[in-house]
Amino acid sequence: MARIARITRESFRVMGANRTRVFIMMLGMAVGVASLTLMICVSKGAYEEVMDIVNRQGPDLLQVRPGTDKHTGLPSGSRAVVSLLEEDVDAILQHIGNIRAISPVKDRKEVEVKHGDKFTLTRIFGITPVWSEIRDFGPSKGEFISEEDLSFAARVCIIGQTVKKNLFGDTDPIGQTIRIKDVPFTVKGELQWKGISSAGRDRDDRIVVPITAYTKRLFRDIYLTQIVITVADISNLDKTIEDVRSVLRERHKISAGEPDDFAMRTPQDLIDLAYSTTRSLINLLTGIAGVSLLVAGIVIMNIMLASVSARRNEIGIRRAIGAKKRDIISQFVMEGFLISMMGGLLGTMLGFGGSIILSYLKVAASRVTLLALAASIVSCSLIAVVFGIYPAKKAANQSPVDALRT
Amino acid sequence: MIKTKNIEKTYKKPSVTTPVLRGITLSIHRGEYVAIMGTSGSGKSTLMNILGCLDKPTSGQLELDGTDVYTLDDDALSALRNKKIGFVFQQFFLLERTTALENVLLPLIYADNYPADAKQRAKKALTNVGLEDRMEYLANELSGGQQQRVAIARALINDPDVILADEPTGNLDSGSTHEVLEIFSRLHQEGRTIIVVTHDRAVAEHAQRILELKEGQIIENTTSSKPENSGNH
Repeated sequence: MARIARITRESFRVMGANRTRVFIMMLGMAVGVASLTLMICVSKGAYEEVMDIVNRQGPDLLQVRPGTDKHTGLPSGSRAVVSLLEEDVDAILQHIGNIRAISPVKDRKEVEVKHGDKFTLTRIFGITPVWSEIRDFGPSKGEFISEEDLSFAARVCIIGQTVKKNLFGDTDPIGQTIRIKDVPFTVKGELQWKGISSAGRDRDDRIVVPITAYTKRLFRDIYLTQIVITVADISNLDKTIEDVRSVLRERHKISAGEPDDFAMRTPQDLIDLAYSTTRSLINLLTGIAGVSLLVAGIVIMNIMLASVSARRNEIGIRRAIGAKKRDIISQFVMEGFLISMMGGLLGTMLGFGGSIILSYLKVAASRVTLLALAASIVSCSLIAVVFGIYPAKKAANQSPVDALRT
Repeated sequence: MIKTKNIEKTYKKPSVTTPVLRGITLSIHRGEYVAIMGTSGSGKSTLMNILGCLDKPTSGQLELDGTDVYTLDDDALSALRNKKIGFVFQQFFLLERTTALENVLLPLIYADNYPADAKQRAKKALTNVGLEDRMEYLANELSGGQQQRVAIARALINDPDVILADEPTGNLDSGSTHEVLEIFSRLHQEGRTIIVVTHDRAVAEHAQRILELKEGQIIENTTSSKPENSGNH
């Protein structure tokens, strides 16, 4: 058996004989590591949620909305601001190269829709055929709006799954006629199921129609509620954003120094928006983790220092019977390390438990991740060594004669 | 075996310097059983610590089994204590909440080579001091005399050249004192070198030779009147 293995075994044995002291040291460590674990789990959950949103919306998606408050997250249909026009869309397409697809959008909420004796209030979108590609929101049955529909302002519509349920129940809606604001529209297809959005809206409670039909047959709105754009080359996203901005500012005759009368929402904005809700929680947990790990380190150091004096005779006899200074250091550091590790594992489990509770209670989308375990192991080892080395050296540097004095 | 030359030890405090040992020159042969006697304050414990390589004198030389001890560094001194010296203390200094067997095994943890038969050796050592039925007892469950016998077994485990005992019977009742002294006599007969530090003449009388210490100097060096019972010198 190698010397260090013997000393490690000895550390284990001594710990077994001093369970109370070991338990207190472990507890300090466990609290610190539990917050650390929770912080990592919450961050991971937030990150996954954000990436989910970004991937759903597309990392190449630019949204232009009227008004300046791009962070409100309010449905665009409820805004009274007027600034965007269909001509803006043409201008962007004309002047900017890095555009893969662009669609103007008009929409209104709580529009009356009827089918037979069934009635519902839903949101109506006027869009162009590329919208389906831009928003990755195609038909699951039937067909989407065609260029022809657009040119003829055809009275056709694609209905979301919630609308289908409300108006048709289990029967096939395709080919049927529904009345939007008493104007008859033929159902051409069903939109694929999307579920609830991150903002809590039912993304299936909608009907899309050709934007031309929206304007001519339903509402005489001139202003757009949104322009959606996908860029061709994501690496040039930032420049494209600036190009779109300057085209729009020029068209809207905004002089230098004046604020935009529109807002652009980029994937980065989505990330920021999604993070903003969990950021304060992450900051809080990071603070708690940092402080409690520091406290745990200091607790370990103090208990070790106290035990260096309490165990003076033990150290003395070990030195007398042949322990070298580095054997004593190894033993103490090893004890600190093992205790810290055990506390760390306990803390990781507590943190995972907390993470599960947080996501169960829907406080935060916390994810149990092995990264947290790795972080605990690293921080525990570091703390054990940083805070353990001083007491260990103090133990080793006593002269054997002093240590054996009673 | 052990030779000292003009060992002096002075404790320096800012205001006073206290000489504790004033030129100790002695020589102890292999297989000898020597008692170092003196009253408290005579410097006998300091001398014991120096002979045990636990402490260094202010000046002087110590030779142990041909090695000039003060040329060694701290690690080498530890190794030397581990290999050549077995300690027995007045306070036993066993590890609490640790079994007798594990206490006896302790020196082997720090040995350069851990013997494969460590456990057997420890058991043998404990049997040798009559504790074969107490091996798995925790140190704090044993009586004082038993604890001291565990300490002797621990001192023997590495087969040391010399056993240094500092007031080994100081905390024991007369029955246990008798047992411990018996063991020392037996070890002496087996050829071990034993040095006992004591203030108690009755204990010192068990040795072959008594060195009497007073105010840091050897004032008497007498060979015991007891019949010679040493085996091999």
